[in-house]
This record gives sequence, structure tokens and C-alpha cells, in this order.
Amino acid sequence: MIDFKHVKKYYPNGTVALDGVDLHIDDGEFVFIVGHSGAGKTTMTKLLLREEAVSSGTLVVGNNNLAKIKNREIPFYRRELGVVFQDFRLFPNKTVYENVAFAMQVVGTPRSMIKRRVPAILSTVNLADKLKCFPRELSGGEQQRVALARALANNPKIIVADEPTGNIDPKMSIEIMNLLMKINKLGKTIIVVTHEKNLVDYYKQRVVMLKDGKIVEDRVGGMFE
Amino acid sequence: MRKHYSLRYFTGQAMTGLWRNGVMSVASVAVLMSCLVVLGCFALLLVNINVNLDNVAQLNQIVVYCDYDLDEAAVEEIGNEIEKLDYIDSVKHVSKEEALEIMREQSGDYEELYSGITEENNPLSDSFEIMYKGTDETKVFDLEAQLRSMEGVRKINSVYQVAKTLDSLKSGIMLVFLWFLIILFVVSIFVIINTIKLAVYSRRSEISVMRYVGATNWFITMPFILEGVLIGVFASLIGFAIETYIYNYVHKMALVDLQMITVLGYGKIAIPLFIGFIVIGVITGIIGSMASLRKYLKS
Repeated sequence: MIDFKHVKKYYPNGTVALDGVDLHIDDGEFVFIVGHSGAGKTTMTKLLLREEAVSSGTLVVGNNNLAKIKNREIPFYRRELGVVFQDFRLFPNKTVYENVAFAMQVVGTPRSMIKRRVPAILSTVNLADKLKCFPRELSGGEQQRVALARALANNPKIIVADEPTGNIDPKMSIEIMNLLMKINKLGKTIIVVTHEKNLVDYYKQRVVMLKDGKIVEDRVGGMFE
Repeated sequence: MRKHYSLRYFTGQAMTGLWRNGVMSVASVAVLMSCLVVLGCFALLLVNINVNLDNVAQLNQIVVYCDYDLDEAAVEEIGNEIEKLDYIDSVKHVSKEEALEIMREQSGDYEELYSGITEENNPLSDSFEIMYKGTDETKVFDLEAQLRSMEGVRKINSVYQVAKTLDSLKSGIMLVFLWFLIILFVVSIFVIINTIKLAVYSRRSEISVMRYVGATNWFITMPFILEGVLIGVFASLIGFAIETYIYNYVHKMALVDLQMITVLGYGKIAIPLFIGFIVIGVITGIIGSMASLRKYLKS
């Protein structure tokens, strides 16, 4: 469950990035956050990842009140999330296996469990045969699938995908979106931040549209107007 | 299992960090090493000064020289008076004839210098070698004053004064040493800070991913702290090797040329020096790492 209540975010230079956002997302939902540049999408992602703190209002994710969370608790909160970035952020000198294993390694997962779990996750994203490849040997879509596998590595409840199809061609974009839909069917909450109208219109999921830091539309099965 | 795995991971990351920033790593090790070598030299110098001071202080001796023209009775009178004084352990009379003999013996190859001196024109005077009981400064000073004020006493030589001079020399050396040390350690810490900052910068994308997947600050910063520790350990080991070479060289030289000075054998001081180097090196490395990560840890 994600709950934004009257969330405002100001930056020190006076910019109002979010201006009184109220939004409730239930467990297992698939939500597109859309809007043009400067609408507040990135800020919303940063607040969800607790890269930034809210200026006022409350933001609750699961059992965590992000307005009050202590710095030392943030890493443990982030383990409940999986993040996918537009630029993949894979390590070029690590293999596909190592890239996914890394996410488990940093949270102290025993090696035996990593060995069992990584191939299973890579099967979920249809990359079971690319374990030993390096990112440079993969297409953009495949690289994003590795990033998705990494996001799934620690079995998070929520996946936040920030422009996941921004750097890949339309055919691959459909593939990534289909995977996100498949993961959603497994019970995970999926939040996709995007400005790609075609994708949003094609999947007909809940669409939350931001404009100038405010939610101007929130519709299930919505279109990107 | 988990701990073992993490330690291997941390060490691997720290070694990679050092390797990637080769020049800065070498600079950090070199500066810290120089600092440790200078520190070691001062420490060894002080230890040896202390040993020599102790040797001198242990002599507890004052030599009283009588006036030149005293007859035997007057000299004997002085001897009796000295024996009556407090804090005296023993008194030995050295007649001017004996003093001349001793001088001749000590002159070695230059004995002919004394060939013209006979008992009739002996330029030396009678003296008393006094041993006192302890090292109580007030009592030694009192004794010196009493001896100096005695009739028929020309001058006194107190080893205690030599010890005092050496002691003040030691204080001077310590002051210089302290300033040197502060400056060098500040420089070392700054160089280490920059090395670790470079390491953090070169791994920034890795760190950002680590944060997003929920790595704790401890897990993220450990490799960098370990990098500082490794800089400290490498600097200590190289510094200790150089120090060993320098000390052995000086020791050999001192044995040949400065026979009057006691120079401690390296075996006695090597272990404390090694432990000191490692402890100071590692602590400096950790301070450098922590300082460069402070801002990062706050965020």
C-alpha cells in the first residue's frame, strides 16, 4: 500500500515540485505515472525511493512512514522496493549473473541462496541462457531485462520503473512492459513512470497524470491525454 | 559464512580501489610512510637519550677540586668535612699526583705532552670524588651548594648538571618532534582523504545501485575504510623496513665512532616500534577514510 497525503515538495531554490498530492495505491496494482517534463514525476520517484524527504504532508509505503523514517532505517525500507532505471545502470565489468547477484550480495544474502535464486529470476525475465554474458553483449531490451531481474532479486513488494522503455526500441518496449505485467500478476505492485503515450494507451491500466506538481487525472484503464 | 564472504568482498573492493587510483594510493602510502619514518627516528633518538641519561644519572657523582696551594692537612680537613655532610655515600680522595698519573694514562699516544710535567710543577690539584645516595634533586642541589661554599674548594663538577643539560635537550627535541609530527600527520590525512574521495568518485554508479537495492551505509563505506587501513598497513610495513635499515646503519656507526654513547640494540626496540607503526598507520588511514566519507555518511 502506498499513500500520499497532501504531499508537498519544495526545493531550496524555491521550485515547487509537488504541490499537495493525494494518491492511494493498493497492493498488487499496476499504475502509470505520466506527465510532461517538469510535471513532478521524477520527484515522486525520488520521494518513493526516499532519496528526498517530503517537505510537508505524509507518505506511507507499507509500514513505513517516509516523512518520519530514520536515516539508518532507509536501507531496510529500500529492500522492499525494486528499481529499474532508464539507463539500466548495469556494471559493464560484471556478467549478467554477477549483476543480479550483486543486489543480493549487498544485503548479505548467503552465497548458496544467491546461487539458487539468480538463475530462477533470470528465467522469469527470459534470460536463463545469458548468465555468463556481459552487458555489452546484450541488446538494449535484454539489458533492461537484466536490470528488471536485479530489481526482483531481493523479492520486493513494489517495483518502481523510471522510464524503463526510454532507451530501447518500440518492439523491445512491449517486451519489457509484458514482463512488468507478468510480474504484476505475481502479486507485485508496479509503478511505471513514463511519458510514452503509446504504451500507456496500449495497456489500459490505471493512469495518474501529473501537471505542475499536481495530479490532474487519475483514471483506471485510462489514456495519456 | 556470511561474515567470511563479506570480508572477502570488502578486501577485494578495497584492493580494487587502491589499484584503480594507483598514483594517489602510492602518494598516500609514501607520505604516511615518510611520516612514520620521521616519527620512528625521533622516537628512537628519545629512547637512546633516555638510556644515556639514566646511565649518567646513575653515576651520582660530584667531583670537588681543592685550591692549588693547600697543604696535606688542609686537604684532609676538607675530606673530613665532606664526610660529615648529609646524603653522602662515599668519598674518595684523589691526590694531585694520582690525578697526574691518571691523566698520563688517558693521554695514550700523546704521552709526550706530559713529559715536562713533574711532581714539582704539577698543575693539578687534589680532588675528592663523592658518590651521593639518590637522585633527589633538592638534596643534590643542597649538597652542591654546601660543597661549593667550603673553604679551600676551588670548583665542583657535578654529573647531575650534565644530566640536566641532556634533559633540557630532550625537551627541545620533543617539542620539535611534536610539531613535525602534527604537520606530517595533517598532510598524510589530507592525501588519504583525496585518495579515498577519488575511490568513491570512481565507484559512484556502483554506490548508487548499492543504495537503491538497500545496502547499509556500513556495507557501502566498509571497503573505503578498509582501503584507508590498507594504506596504513603498507605505509607501516615499508616504513618499518626503512627504519630498520637506518637504525642498524646508525647503530653500526655509533659503535665504531661514538664509543662513549650507549646505543640500544635494535632487537630490544623493534617489536614496540613495529606495533607503534602499525597502530599509528592504521589509525591515520581510518581517520583519512572517515573524514572523506563523513559528508557521504550524513546523506
